[in-house]
Amino acid sequence: MNQKFRVVGIRQSDSLPTLKPQNRRQKRPIASALILLLILSGCLACELIMTKDPSYLDLHHYSVPPDREFFFGTDTMGRDIFSMIWYGGRISLWIGFVSTFMTTAVAVILGAISGCSPDKADAVIMRIVDILLSIPGLLPVVLLQAVLGKASVLSISFVIGITGWMSMAKVVRMEVRQIRNSEYVIASACMGGGFFHVLRHHLAPNFIPSIMFMVVMNIRSAIVAESTLSFMGIGLPVEVISWGSMLSLANQALSGRTWWMILMPGLFLVVTLVCLTNLGNHLRKCANKKHSNL
Amino acid sequence: MRRYMQTLGKKVFLFVTSVLLLSVLVFYISRLAPGEPLVSYYGDRVEKMSPEEQEWARARLGLDAPIYVQYIRWLQNAFQGDFGISYKYKMDVTEVIGGRIVNTLLLGGTGFVLIFAFALLLGVVCAWQEDKLLDRVICKIGTVTGCIPEFWLSLVLILIFSVGLRWLPSSGAYSIGKEADLADRLRHLILPLFVVVISHLWYYAYMIRNKLLEEVRAEYVLLARMKGLRKSRVMFGHCLRNVLPSYFSIMAISVPHVLGGTYIVETVFSYPGLGTLTYESARYQDYNLLMILSLLTGITVIFCNMAAQAVSERIDPRIRMEDQNRYEEVERL
Amino acid sequence: MSAILEVQNLSVSFDTPRGEIQAVRDVSLAVAEGEVLAVVGETGCGKSVLCKSILKLLPDIARIKEGHILLDGVDITGYRERDMRLLRGKFCSMVFQNPMTALNPSLSVGAQIAEAVKVHRPRMSRQDVEHRVVELMDLVGIDHPTERQKQYPHHLSGGMRQRSVMAIALAAEPRLLFADEPTTALDVTIQAQILDLLKEIQARLHTAMVFITHDLGVAARVADRVAVMYAGRIVEIGTAEEVFHDPRHPYTWGLMRAVPAFARGRDSLYAIPGMPPVLIDPPKGDAFACRNEYALAIDYEEQPPMFPVTKTHFAATWLLDERAGGLGVRAPAFGSFREKNDGMCGEAQRSKVQRNKAQDAKQSLSADTASDILLDVQHLSHVFPLPGQENLQAADDVSFQIRNGEIFGLIGESGSGKSTVARCIMNVYKPTDGQIIYQGIDVCDAKAFRANKKMLQSTRQIIFQDSDASLNQRKKVCDIIAEPMKLHHVKPPRGTYRAEAAFQMRAVGLDAGYLDQYPAALSGGQRQRVAIARALTMEPALLVADEPIASLDVSMQAQIVNLFQHLQKEHGFSFLFIAHDLAMVEFLCDRVGVMHGGRLVETGTVEEIFHHPVHPYTRRLMEAIPVPVWCSDDTERRQNR
Repeated sequence: MNQKFRVVGIRQSDSLPTLKPQNRRQKRPIASALILLLILSGCLACELIMTKDPSYLDLHHYSVPPDREFFFGTDTMGRDIFSMIWYGGRISLWIGFVSTFMTTAVAVILGAISGCSPDKADAVIMRIVDILLSIPGLLPVVLLQAVLGKASVLSISFVIGITGWMSMAKVVRMEVRQIRNSEYVIASACMGGGFFHVLRHHLAPNFIPSIMFMVVMNIRSAIVAESTLSFMGIGLPVEVISWGSMLSLANQALSGRTWWMILMPGLFLVVTLVCLTNLGNHLRKCANKKHSNL
Repeated sequence: MRRYMQTLGKKVFLFVTSVLLLSVLVFYISRLAPGEPLVSYYGDRVEKMSPEEQEWARARLGLDAPIYVQYIRWLQNAFQGDFGISYKYKMDVTEVIGGRIVNTLLLGGTGFVLIFAFALLLGVVCAWQEDKLLDRVICKIGTVTGCIPEFWLSLVLILIFSVGLRWLPSSGAYSIGKEADLADRLRHLILPLFVVVISHLWYYAYMIRNKLLEEVRAEYVLLARMKGLRKSRVMFGHCLRNVLPSYFSIMAISVPHVLGGTYIVETVFSYPGLGTLTYESARYQDYNLLMILSLLTGITVIFCNMAAQAVSERIDPRIRMEDQNRYEEVERL
Repeated sequence: MSAILEVQNLSVSFDTPRGEIQAVRDVSLAVAEGEVLAVVGETGCGKSVLCKSILKLLPDIARIKEGHILLDGVDITGYRERDMRLLRGKFCSMVFQNPMTALNPSLSVGAQIAEAVKVHRPRMSRQDVEHRVVELMDLVGIDHPTERQKQYPHHLSGGMRQRSVMAIALAAEPRLLFADEPTTALDVTIQAQILDLLKEIQARLHTAMVFITHDLGVAARVADRVAVMYAGRIVEIGTAEEVFHDPRHPYTWGLMRAVPAFARGRDSLYAIPGMPPVLIDPPKGDAFACRNEYALAIDYEEQPPMFPVTKTHFAATWLLDERAGGLGVRAPAFGSFREKNDGMCGEAQRSKVQRNKAQDAKQSLSADTASDILLDVQHLSHVFPLPGQENLQAADDVSFQIRNGEIFGLIGESGSGKSTVARCIMNVYKPTDGQIIYQGIDVCDAKAFRANKKMLQSTRQIIFQDSDASLNQRKKVCDIIAEPMKLHHVKPPRGTYRAEAAFQMRAVGLDAGYLDQYPAALSGGQRQRVAIARALTMEPALLVADEPIASLDVSMQAQIVNLFQHLQKEHGFSFLFIAHDLAMVEFLCDRVGVMHGGRLVETGTVEEIFHHPVHPYTRRLMEAIPVPVWCSDDTERRQNR
């Protein structure tokens, strides 16, 4: 018994005591991610899935409702909608990604510059951004597209990309402002870090997570923008197949009671967008850790 | 008092300069765009006209002079209230706009009010029931509705209600002859209004929900509860109260966004409003019309921005507090 | 007197995604009416959770696993929100730690106090409410109450805000008041005022109080009874006299020895080794065993129950078991001196005087040797432009010198400009006026700075206060430490950057296993060690530390200060130590400068400043230090004030 009552003092534990094990987020948007992956792979590998050639005008079978041969029916020009969806999805998604890439690049550069500049310059830049932001959505797009003339995939991507950077730039600038005053940035500057060193090692890794969700949302709005443009007739021409151009034809479908022409591409569009939104929201939630006090 | 007049004067000056700058910008861009303005005036007959006739037509419309001359001419006329004629409608632009502005205001204005009223309601309900079933359901529905492109929703609604069920009309702002009939106007408004509201609603509802949720995590909420207040009192009397100023400034900034964003809906529903007008004038180089519409938009945008800033500066003591915080932060050094 | 609060075997846990955190484990205590109970412990020991769980103010993920809470004899453990609401404010209320965030920024102070008044007396007329608000503001000592009630929180200073929070807490005249570290976020002089106010109110209104703090000096000043908490359990409880004069638990011994006042004249501060445990998977035996030099074998296996020392004094340590009686373990000597008028005691005074004499000799020898002066600050002034055409004079004509190998302390309250001076020295800001001459080079001159940039940036290093932003959360520890070397393209003397980082880590007492961890996985003390290691890689001649210990626990503070002392002796660099913790400064520094409102009001050796202050502000500062009053002629000292 007395064995237990001798003084042993401090015993070192074997494992390293770490304070906070990494936070595990429980609710991951797995369903959304999977569906998105499905659609993406379907579009990328469309040659394997398509049953018919999407641009083949089968004039014998135009405006046919969905049946065994044409899964989603055909449009007014006899093209198989099922195949068109996968083929067109490629283009729609491609435009979404390319324009988002452009948007992100512009937003990050401008945001970082604004965040690092002295107060007055920053105020001016932000005021301009605010004003640009409140201009109704597609108006500058319309104007630019009109200037550029005939639309192509690249020009559409460019136009959408150039007009959507404003909100992301605001977020980047806010983050940079906050981070700029952090002690580790000051320490780095004190020990000799130049602007680019600080940008690359300290600023960028810290604001990139917060703009991730904006990037995802941007892809979403780019896809919507493309489809709206094509629908209005100033986007891609009808010969170039994308979800938007498919829907522009659907305008005429209203009178002909050909509901499948409207429903199918639209459904795919909505599903893709919803999955993207869920992903974006999940990314946004990862930043918020505190508990409600209510 | 004097300082107030000074700041007011400064703001007016800024306003006027911005508008002028905008006009120059739009003038130049529209004229630099490819396309033939004569087409909107003469239609397809342009192709059949000989070059001399085209020259003559251009001179008649004042399109032959260099751009800056055209601009000065326009500016001089504008100061006298004459904004030129629309090539397409061959009427004074003010008349063309006057005829349609009511429609757009009805659609956009009502939509605006409904959007922000419902967004507030939904946002508060969701924040109150954070993470419970109601919140999750509303969020899921909201996410889906926020993702539906406007034009597609319009098409589907037309398909169901106009073509399928034949309950509601599919186009126009009013039936022929019933221009002043309110009930008829309302019938025509229902579908487009629904689309406008649904497509914007969730964006703002989600925003308010998140702002409220962030607010609820503040320290002072604990103090308020410690006093013995009900949770509802804390939510409405404290958190919501703190969120409202920024909500108002967002509302102000969104005015041009919502009002101007109606053109898609107008197009699909063939609703004769300013949206379709803008689109047409941009597309078909109807310069005078485009100028004045852009100016209108620009003025609204700039005005709303300034108003929003003024509002938030005065009402929200936290903006003032943020200045104070900066002061303290600096002081702590 | 019946107990107004009784807690019986309370256990509270948090259900987090990473597991169940047992924040409070089997706590039992009682507070009698009109009594002040101080709960003392480090960060994370569960004292705050304990109080919030009594008021049921915890978030939904927290739940009371077992135990009972009785308020005035009534069991409220199962009370729902609607029942608790009636009690909050009226029967018991709370004063929070951070006055900056505790008040609603968009409501006036008067409105918030009025709300607290009206909640429990809804039928009060408007005039009566206003009258009561003014009455409350008078009670807590807010001047000009009728004007101040219309002001917003951001117009008030920290001390005023805390008084407003107290007014709100006292609005309905509660019988039990919880004070959660109410003075931690305040300056020393304000701290003294608030503590006095609390005692006065408590005496006047006969309110029972549960006072949470990590500072023993503060506890000694206000408490009737003291409870010491560690890792969610109460390890010792008794009257203040008993706990301070006859502590029985090794943790209490550790806490008392770690108070810097007791280290006067000694070579290093006593620091409790190790870190508090993570409560997700609490150890089987006594949680303190792995830091306890008096731990028994049984401590590692079984948790000790509460052993009675007297009728009112209990301690949870196996040392009090009769079977351990024969070991003869006694409290180490720390209370064995008596205070005299100048605050120094006995032998400790003599050795300190000797040390200072040696230093003075050293200084007088080198007073005239200009080459001995490393840093010469001359008439430094810095003005910050503020929004709205105002200007803030952060530093005003500051002049001092730091010699080679000297530790210079810069003390002052918040807003005094110490950080501004430090940042000007490090070229973070360009001062609006004055010169800073480092090794003969004026670093304020842009040309001179550029010419000597490399040298200046490597031989001068800075360490900041520990916070979330002091280290880049997205970089690994080894990258953080190696950064200065990489920047200056210095070839690491120990081969690779990684090996160099490991070496520096060992030099500051960090296990090399942390090399690949991110800062989020480290504790505050460990993070500061990383920052120190980073600063030392370049073998600096001048090390500037801007409040490096302010956000650490007392035991951590002691560890870091010991580390500073050790490193300075070993490397011989000059050290500018900025802090507002006067006791630590007194222990560590050779010479001290006192700053107030941007001006340097007094400089001198530690002996001069701390024991013979000349400037009235310095005197006020020295008098406000919460001194541990468990020396025997404490009452005499209190009367002498």
